[in-house]
Amino acid sequence: MLELRGASYRYAGYAKDVLHDVTFTLADGEIVGLVGANESGKSTICLVASGLAPASIGGALTGTLTVDGEPMAGRATHELASRVVVGFQNPTTQLSGVAATVFEEVALGPMNLGLPVAETLARTREALATLRIEHLAERAPMKLSGGQGQLVAIASLLAMRPRHIVLDEPTAQLDPEGTRLVGEALRVLAATGTALLVAEHKTDLLDGLCDRVLVVDGGRIVAEGPAATVLADERLLDWGVEPPARVRLDRALRARGFEPSAALS
Amino acid sequence: MAGVLRRLARISFLLTLPVGISVVLVSVFTRAGTTVLLTVGPFDATAEGVNFAGQILVRLIAISLAIGLFGLTTDPRSFVFDLERRGLSPRFAFVAAATLEAVPAMVVRAGVIQSAQRARGLDTEGSIAARLRGVMPLVGPVILSSLTEVEERTLALEVRAFGRPGERHLLWFSPDSSGQRAIRWAMVLAFLALVATRATGTFPALP
Amino acid sequence: MIEIRGLVHVFPEGTRALDGVDLTIGDGERIAIIGQNGSGKSTLVRHFNGLLRPTEGRVLLDGGDTANTKVARLAARIGLAFQDPDRQIFAGRVRREVEFGPRNLGLRGQALERAVDEALAAVGLADQANANPYDLGYSRRKLLALASILAMRTPVVVLDEPTTGQDARGVRRVQAIVESLHEAGRTVIAVSHDMRFVAETFARVIVMRTGTVVLDGSPAEVFAESNWEALASTYVEPPLPARVGARLGLGAIPTESGLVEAIAARR
Repeated sequence: MLELRGASYRYAGYAKDVLHDVTFTLADGEIVGLVGANESGKSTICLVASGLAPASIGGALTGTLTVDGEPMAGRATHELASRVVVGFQNPTTQLSGVAATVFEEVALGPMNLGLPVAETLARTREALATLRIEHLAERAPMKLSGGQGQLVAIASLLAMRPRHIVLDEPTAQLDPEGTRLVGEALRVLAATGTALLVAEHKTDLLDGLCDRVLVVDGGRIVAEGPAATVLADERLLDWGVEPPARVRLDRALRARGFEPSAALS
Repeated sequence: MAGVLRRLARISFLLTLPVGISVVLVSVFTRAGTTVLLTVGPFDATAEGVNFAGQILVRLIAISLAIGLFGLTTDPRSFVFDLERRGLSPRFAFVAAATLEAVPAMVVRAGVIQSAQRARGLDTEGSIAARLRGVMPLVGPVILSSLTEVEERTLALEVRAFGRPGERHLLWFSPDSSGQRAIRWAMVLAFLALVATRATGTFPALP
Repeated sequence: MIEIRGLVHVFPEGTRALDGVDLTIGDGERIAIIGQNGSGKSTLVRHFNGLLRPTEGRVLLDGGDTANTKVARLAARIGLAFQDPDRQIFAGRVRREVEFGPRNLGLRGQALERAVDEALAAVGLADQANANPYDLGYSRRKLLALASILAMRTPVVVLDEPTTGQDARGVRRVQAIVESLHEAGRTVIAVSHDMRFVAETFARVIVMRTGTVVLDGSPAEVFAESNWEALASTYVEPPLPARVGARLGLGAIPTESGLVEAIAARR
């Protein structure tokens, strides 16, 4: 379980806080969606939730990050890495660039943890199997398509056996097929008990995927609750978030006096 | 190794050429000597100068051949990870490997940036002057996006426990044979012998 | 008018990205090109302004073969906005960035200023003219990149994934821009994965798969049920209203407003 309490954060060298009093919890096996306009603080929340802010990028954080009951303040990045990992939107920058095959790429994390060879091999195989990309094992990572690259990046995170995964717009650069693959992979992960926080613009994707959704606006959490409820909130567009197609259609029909459940079933 | 000779010749030539030309010109014309071959303005080309230039040129070629051979025959990854196996810190090993891989990535990125600017009317097919002017709108985005990418990549690596102190158990190994080991030792001995003969003067002075 | 005849493009490493494309694009059309990654969409549009040259076949612009015209000159007639703004932005000030394109085309003085002002206004960055592009967030940098192309006032504007990474406001802004370009009589061509954006904003949809055009028609025609299998083969899912409409027996109506009207009419 990951808990962020009263987090306010300011990037190094900046005068103003970008996050204000952010509080939320990620329970094991939960998929929580994070939506908001660009520059609302989505990415910052991802960095803070993973501990990289301030552990890696500096800056000033007030409030607490607690992972599985232990406070993360002052921990080194590699200590954080075994508990919570974060993925970004660009598949290429997440690949190390020094692995000749996907297998080596995914094995990099466990190797860095200093694990014995047998353990590294086991975790790598497991990660590839969980995401169903064993068939990519011998491929060159830098030559994969965007969707495949992103899956390899997620597998590389998985090989660390993290209990918590934060993903910042994992499907931003992917086509619909790549998006679908990533969505499926996330479902599989949650089913194994991993807690997931996924920041995305694609509310249609989050609609079928998330248990809960958080809305961030101006660095604050302005809405939080079950996915269906939050994604149907009338204020979504005011917060710069496009509601899912299902919700829009529903609303358009109601405006015309129709009972949408009957029309859409 | 064999398939590499032609590329090697090209690379050595390219490496040597710029320096070589200026060195030769300077040596030939300004080296103090008595046997004048020809005169260009206030400068005399002397036989001694030519001799000296010849010596320098051969050394330059030897150096560039060595560098070229190394670059062309060494797989950057196995080289770097082998170093790590012999005690180089993993962080340094990674940086070295990544640096060697960085150039092709940058070339691709530069290509995309150039396309984008050409689509805005940047003329890259014109005169030399036009092409030089055309470099400016390319430099900024190439550097900036490279830096941003480095930033993101660094974070991604930290997430994978890259900064963790202590050794790691590598999956990689470079195949080594007794034949290769023998050649390596032979080369070291030959080098030592050469240095020794040079120092003690038992060899006639070779250029 | 752009005419593509028998266009084949094979990349140096052997990939046959375009395998015989025949297409005619009339002035003032609004066209979306869709299809899976690798289907040839981006390769195709880069032939319009000469960034890529045909391996076989011809690209004709207003009747003239583009083969012997430099990219810099074609840029005066075909503007192409790239997907990643950071692969293009180089100036320290928004205004200077937008000036680059029109300046290359020979605009100076008042004409240049007007072109820049209009472009900035169209994307909503008029008040940021002196800002550093990197002080703007990703959404607005993408709009800035678009403004740089708009300022060139080309009769044809090509947009490569204009809504990727954009938030709700950004997407709506892009839609508004496409509409105003259309009203001004300019031709707009967009490569996109966003089916809602495609169905609502464009009058013609071209579907590509493995280097060829497999479907070409209005959104209603392309997203009709009879084509769903072809669409699936290039990983395109019809927009939600089309799927709902089909399920209700009203036919695959691709826009929300269209579907609502059809449901109302049936009552």
